[in-house]
Amino acid sequence: MLEPVMFTGGLYKHDLVVELVEDLGGYVLQKNVTQTEIILLILVPTEDMAILQAMAKELRGELVRAPLAGTEVAVVTPTLAIHHLPHSACDIAEYLRRHGSKTNMLGLARGVGREIAQINEYETALINEHDAAVFIFGNFQECIKKKESLYRNISVPVVVTGGPEIEAKDLPYAFEYVSSIGRVAHRARKATEIGSLDRIVESVGRALDKTRSSIAKDPLTTSPPRVMDSVREQVPDVEFSYSPLPIALNLTGVRVKLPYDAYKDAVKAVTFDEGVSLGEIATIKPSRMKDYILVRILSASETGFVF
Amino acid sequence: MDPMEVFKIEVTGQEEFGAKKYRELIMDILQGLGLIRSIGRLYVYVDILKPYFAVYGLLRSGIPPLTVKDVGDVMKVQGGYQIKINDEEHMADLLRVLGERYGRERIEQPARDIVIIASDTSPSELMVANLEAEFLQDLTDALVRVAPEGFRNRRNIMTKDSFFFIAAEESLTPEMVSEIKGKIREMENA
Repeated sequence: MLEPVMFTGGLYKHDLVVELVEDLGGYVLQKNVTQTEIILLILVPTEDMAILQAMAKELRGELVRAPLAGTEVAVVTPTLAIHHLPHSACDIAEYLRRHGSKTNMLGLARGVGREIAQINEYETALINEHDAAVFIFGNFQECIKKKESLYRNISVPVVVTGGPEIEAKDLPYAFEYVSSIGRVAHRARKATEIGSLDRIVESVGRALDKTRSSIAKDPLTTSPPRVMDSVREQVPDVEFSYSPLPIALNLTGVRVKLPYDAYKDAVKAVTFDEGVSLGEIATIKPSRMKDYILVRILSASETGFVF
Repeated sequence: MDPMEVFKIEVTGQEEFGAKKYRELIMDILQGLGLIRSIGRLYVYVDILKPYFAVYGLLRSGIPPLTVKDVGDVMKVQGGYQIKINDEEHMADLLRVLGERYGRERIEQPARDIVIIASDTSPSELMVANLEAEFLQDLTDALVRVAPEGFRNRRNIMTKDSFFFIAAEESLTPEMVSEIKGKIREMENA
């Protein structure tokens, strides 16, 4: 069992942490360098946590659990205009990031209004590439109920946020509804506002747990972090991608941020120690996000084996 | 406590939360743009089922234009007038206006906040900026920000002492406008 944690510390000697994680059989999911600070998102075997904690203490770093690590969450607003950004949407996205999730902010092209709000096929497909979505609505319950059409066809769990209290039965297509986060014109700073952000994180955590438990019934042939590691090793060009996170991890696969046409064969040819190639155990298709490569690992019932 | 004399907001249906939040939102936006002290009374009417959003406001007494003596101290010195600038916010406007009135060759700026003009006429009463026009621009911007984003059909009627703003999803009809005016009047008289 791998434990998702976040290491925050100085840049100096952080290589020791990376080496230790690799030696323990864990994975470094993300590395963010901010001047002299570094933030590492790590998956480490639960039984070896104490060793990593000792190392973090020695380096005067901080090690905290990041329950959403290794997942990608879409934070969806009706548009990217001043009415929805930056306050509530950025607060939610940042808070999810602090708990280890990779978040993508998505403004719909025509999501505004009560009667005229709509979502197109491309936007739906793009949101479906994530592990969960958070839809941020406003302060009027009539509008929130009416805007259900925006997420009705989305197959990943959708957490809806808005201002007023609304009963769950009134929003049957939402995974959960979190109130007290509607349209605001200031950053979340009061304890109650931070509490609402915590409730969103908890709700997203529950949504992801639900997906995890459904995956556990028919496990994936291999784990996404292992695919990420192998792609990183065998397709070295991925390190030259301009994206801050060249390989984004999902619960069911990865997104490789390289042009699809030029690199799909190289990704398909990635081979594991067991002798199978990635093309045999996963579907490799173009992502809806830019020109990236989407890798979806097949389940054990489709390939007949797990490694 | 509200800085305005009257601030009423009414939303149709079971939207008490929405009304309360919109009140905070309007205050935040008006305060952010520094407009709140210039508005005396504000009435907001929202019908979320139609849907439309209307704001009617009465402005406090007109804002006089900003003159040179408002941004600095004007003193007679040998060979002209000296302006000691206290408010640098309008520095660029001040130098432009002085340049246009006296010509650049007659303006000297020995220090950042000192301007000397070689002239016999005092620049005290020269207009530096028309604050009322700026205020009305900011107010329109604030109203567009306050209105729900999908309400793209807008009408904004501004007079010297009041403003009336309507935003709706559907086209604005004369019936709708008169209905809204009636509702606002009811709020005023309540």
